[in-house]
Amino acid sequence: MNALTLWFHKIGSPPTFYRIAGALAPWCYGIALLLGLVALYGGLVLAPRDYQQGDAYRIIFIHVPCAWMSLFAYFFMAANAFVALVWRIKLSEILAMASAPIGAAFTFITLVTGSLWGKPMWGTWWTWDARLTSELVLLFLYFGVMGLYAAIEDRRQAARAAGFLALIGIVNLPIVHFSVNWWNTLHQGSTVRLMGPSKIDSAMIWPLLTMALATHIWFFGSVLARTRIGLLELDAGKDWVRKIALDQQRA
Amino acid sequence: MSSGSTLAACSALVRRDLTLVWRRRGDALNPILFALIVIALFPLALGPEPQQLQRIAAGVVFVALLLAGLLALDTLFRSDYEDGSLEQLVLSSHPLSLLLACKIAVHWLTTALPLIVVAPLLGELLHLADSVRWVLVAALLLATPLLSLIGAVCVALTVGMHRSGMLLALLVLPLYVPVLIFGAGACNAAQIGLPYLAPLLWLAAALVLALVLAPLACAAALRISLS
Repeated sequence: MNALTLWFHKIGSPPTFYRIAGALAPWCYGIALLLGLVALYGGLVLAPRDYQQGDAYRIIFIHVPCAWMSLFAYFFMAANAFVALVWRIKLSEILAMASAPIGAAFTFITLVTGSLWGKPMWGTWWTWDARLTSELVLLFLYFGVMGLYAAIEDRRQAARAAGFLALIGIVNLPIVHFSVNWWNTLHQGSTVRLMGPSKIDSAMIWPLLTMALATHIWFFGSVLARTRIGLLELDAGKDWVRKIALDQQRA
Repeated sequence: MSSGSTLAACSALVRRDLTLVWRRRGDALNPILFALIVIALFPLALGPEPQQLQRIAAGVVFVALLLAGLLALDTLFRSDYEDGSLEQLVLSSHPLSLLLACKIAVHWLTTALPLIVVAPLLGELLHLADSVRWVLVAALLLATPLLSLIGAVCVALTVGMHRSGMLLALLVLPLYVPVLIFGAGACNAAQIGLPYLAPLLWLAAALVLALVLAPLACAAALRISLS
């Protein structure tokens, strides 16, 4: 076994991952908080007013990164579910299930901030627009995965079933997006592009991208923290968990 | 012990399922009654003006049939799971996806097809426009097998649970959204005189895709929940 495979197997074992995640998670939270504050300062104070939307546009510094994260978390969950189903890696099951509630929270924040912005801009809290609707469907998909995971007694079987549902959902997601677009659209188009020039001022884009980075790091910190608890629950009968419990009792 | 040909296994399964439905043929009426009652609630809630009802008729019929199908989904594997024959299916040497496809086909024939037959009648209750009637039937003929196939995958995931009704709805309904959009979209297009063929073709394409993939996914899901 070469060094890379060995390292991979080692990090996949629950006690090792528990220790590493415990060391990394606070750093993730700290860096994310710092970057988030910098981004908020840049977005709320330094960035100029929008000529058309005034100060109301500033909600994009929360809204857009959360919308990106709602999709990213889903892809992360589905990728882990795929690994868990194909290679039966216990850690991937936990990682996939740990990211579901976080993704759902990001989706929820996206919907709430979007409707807060929609009230002054469109004059309504909610409209049956394509992007809003597909984001809502995404939230339901998250709830479905979480509900199925909670409903099955056996934790590993629950993770496999919910992971399978996540994979079905990821096939469905582009179809929902496309069909809903065909059905009705009002939401403005993307202003930030990966390819080609963005249609946004540079004083506005750096806080946005910093916030996106912050939310990603926060997501990983949160996933690590949740995964630790998931590992403790799953391995509740094992020796390494007993040792941790005894150590904490003594302390 | 020889296990016979796959074709024989499939036809035996189809015959068995049809016989079971026939022995309890009263139950087969329930989805129709449910759809009828849901349809009857709309004029009661919205008022009896024909113009208003006509405008929403196709969509309401579509949603009512979708919900009726959702309630009927639970019966797909329920009794087979309880008497253990579902495990025998999984253990059999024949391809599970093919056997499940047979089961889904019978389920569609016995629950969805009667609903489609009464759909024009339900539409008439809501003053459905004449131009929409056959578009609605065509859309339903394409959409309901799709709903059954997608639903079967989710039922397979929840098969061992005692009270799976609400959870099943939560799993299935987000996946039904595109089907509803295209199906009801075709009807609405026909109602205002726009071309309606494109959404119907999309539904047909999705149906072809689901016919191939959904039984495989259903088999995989069933193996997970029976493991």
